[in-house]
Amino acid sequence: MTPRRAIWAAAALPLLFIGYLFLYPLIRILWLGISELQLADLLAERRIARVAWFTLWQAAASTGLTLLLAAPLTWAVSRYEFPGRRLAQALVIVPFVLPTVVVGTAFAALGWRDSVWAILAAHVFYNVAVVVRTVGGMWARLDRKVEEAAATLGASPWRVFRTVTLPILRPAIIAAASIVFLFTFTSFGTVLILGGFRYSTIEVEIYRQAVTLFDLPMAAALSIGQMVAVTTLLAVYARRQERTASPLVLAPEASTRRRPEGRTAWAVAVSVVATLTALFVPPAVLVYRAAADGGFRRLFVDEPVLGRPLDAVPTSLSFAVAATAVAVVVGMCAAYVISRRGSRLSQVFDVVLMLPLGTSAVTIGFGFLIALDWPIDLRATVALVPLAHALVAVPFVVRATVPLMRSIHPSVREAAAMLGASPGRVFRYIDLPIVARAALVGAGFAFVVSLGEFGATAFIARPNTVTIPVMIFRLLGRPGLGNFAAAMALATVLGAVTAAAIMIMDRFRSTDLGTF
Amino acid sequence: MLTVDAVTVRFGELRAVDGASLEVGDGERVAILGPSGSGKSTLLRAIAGLEKLENGRILWDGVDLAGVPPHERRFGFMFQGYALFPHMTVGENVAFGLRMQGRDAAEIRSRVAQVLEWVGLAGFDHRTVDNLSGGEQQRVALARTLAPDPRLVMLDEPLGALDRALRERLIVEMTDLLARAGTTALYVTHDHDEAAFFAHRVALMRQGRIVQIGKMEELRRNPADDWVADFLG
Repeated sequence: MTPRRAIWAAAALPLLFIGYLFLYPLIRILWLGISELQLADLLAERRIARVAWFTLWQAAASTGLTLLLAAPLTWAVSRYEFPGRRLAQALVIVPFVLPTVVVGTAFAALGWRDSVWAILAAHVFYNVAVVVRTVGGMWARLDRKVEEAAATLGASPWRVFRTVTLPILRPAIIAAASIVFLFTFTSFGTVLILGGFRYSTIEVEIYRQAVTLFDLPMAAALSIGQMVAVTTLLAVYARRQERTASPLVLAPEASTRRRPEGRTAWAVAVSVVATLTALFVPPAVLVYRAAADGGFRRLFVDEPVLGRPLDAVPTSLSFAVAATAVAVVVGMCAAYVISRRGSRLSQVFDVVLMLPLGTSAVTIGFGFLIALDWPIDLRATVALVPLAHALVAVPFVVRATVPLMRSIHPSVREAAAMLGASPGRVFRYIDLPIVARAALVGAGFAFVVSLGEFGATAFIARPNTVTIPVMIFRLLGRPGLGNFAAAMALATVLGAVTAAAIMIMDRFRSTDLGTF
Repeated sequence: MLTVDAVTVRFGELRAVDGASLEVGDGERVAILGPSGSGKSTLLRAIAGLEKLENGRILWDGVDLAGVPPHERRFGFMFQGYALFPHMTVGENVAFGLRMQGRDAAEIRSRVAQVLEWVGLAGFDHRTVDNLSGGEQQRVALARTLAPDPRLVMLDEPLGALDRALRERLIVEMTDLLARAGTTALYVTHDHDEAAFFAHRVALMRQGRIVQIGKMEELRRNPADDWVADFLG
């Protein structure tokens, strides 16, 4: 039993952090949206209805397309053993970890701006990994005997798939679809870059109303709508997850994979090669065009309005370091509280600390913009961007460390206390060394999240706090091929730094952190 | 001297310990004996400061320990399942209490060697704890508890997880060790033979209450009620 005083001491910082940077801005948004806007105005705006409809159908279409296009690769890597399978599984994750601005720029480099197809393609590109990991994870462990049993009962391969395999995989498919739907429903950077003025999701519209049109009440009302929608989606997803946790015919992974033969071998080869090639093309074109159009040289050249593009790199790196430090300290304090089971605070924290994860980045940025002028005008300081990044990153640190902290049996901490360790020293000598590696992984996630963060930063970046993603976006908005080339080059740099950070982190990763 | 004065510990509706009183003199070894769920472990944890008292007092040499957190009581506690620190070696486990007291490195080293020798694990300093057998883990836990020289040693079913033969050997070793050091000790068990062998006096617990205290032979000769007679056979 950890003394209550110790728990409250650890809880103070996360409470202040979440309370001031998340809950308080949320309340300001609610207040602004409700007090200054007539609901009738909102409904009367034809544009808003169009935006809502587009948000929904593009998310549905993106989800459907992703499931369809990811299916062959998922099938190949989860059912068959072949040279390069592990590599294929690792490569497919790469698009998922790329910042959305990089993905958007890559598809723009393909010459696909201002079209629905570009948006859908970018969404599929980004989310194939979700399907391969979520559905493939289950498929790889589905006992072959079940399918073989159906075959001996006279079912053709197609019927086996339809009547046995598919129903068994249903929970995983639904889970993957929900995640992809949520991601694409709240898609911001990609749509903002590729959609032009014609196509706008709710996220993009919040940004337009607030930043371009300066209609803050309208932006607030849209944020509220977005929060309601996302919360509903998450609640439905959580309910489903609970209900579908059914016992399954699972076998160890290795036993279910076979060497493909004959026609199957061809099908496996085509699935893997075609999918990976398709995923390889956009980043490859990005890098090629950045180089061919002289983008890298432009990074050093002063642009009259934006300044030197390369200057965004040190800004981003220092913000990422600061945000990571804050996120680790706050996240570890929160993890300490959450892992002390039995206290009511632990249950509250478990939910509250995850809220920023389920909240759209744009809402967070918008909240900062309208709320953080009190008690001092934080918006005028350089701390604003790193704090926003830390807020988005805290859930990652919490998720990385809580499972390990929970795995420490309470009697181990009590034993330390009985040997004379104060609660602080119990944390220092017991918790900290045991979760150190996981905390490092959490820190890596925080760093990567900060580097690529765009939704919130777009609202709050000032001329002296322009991060790499914001600089890319601004370069894309300036006329001239030179600026476009510079944007592609900077996107290449960001993609490379992100990939490097992920690879370093992967080495420290001892535990499976769950999928997303 | 430890004085437990009418202590009650409550978990929601349940009174896990219900008005228990007990005295343990300096150098005395007392066993708390009772069936599972009788509240004996909870009483031990309450004395350690790990459970909140609903009522009653716990005193050491007449000083009330209310408000003294576990880490300042200078009591040793050996946990069921040992609770060894998984990320530390045997030597680091045993040294932990000494480090918390701020002893210097040379002193810690010699004390750790001495205590490991006592429990028959000389030279085990650098072994990791997860490669030890159950009996060895038990000895490390005992060494770790004894190293900082606590004024009271509490043992919560310290042999519970071991097989019969090993238990019989270890209870002899452990009793011998504590007797030679003149350690004041409380021993929680559900095993009559262990209690009888280890302790000067035995406190019988049932449903949160201490029903009788005395030497084992006295309890057998004059059981307080039918339940005691029944329980002791």
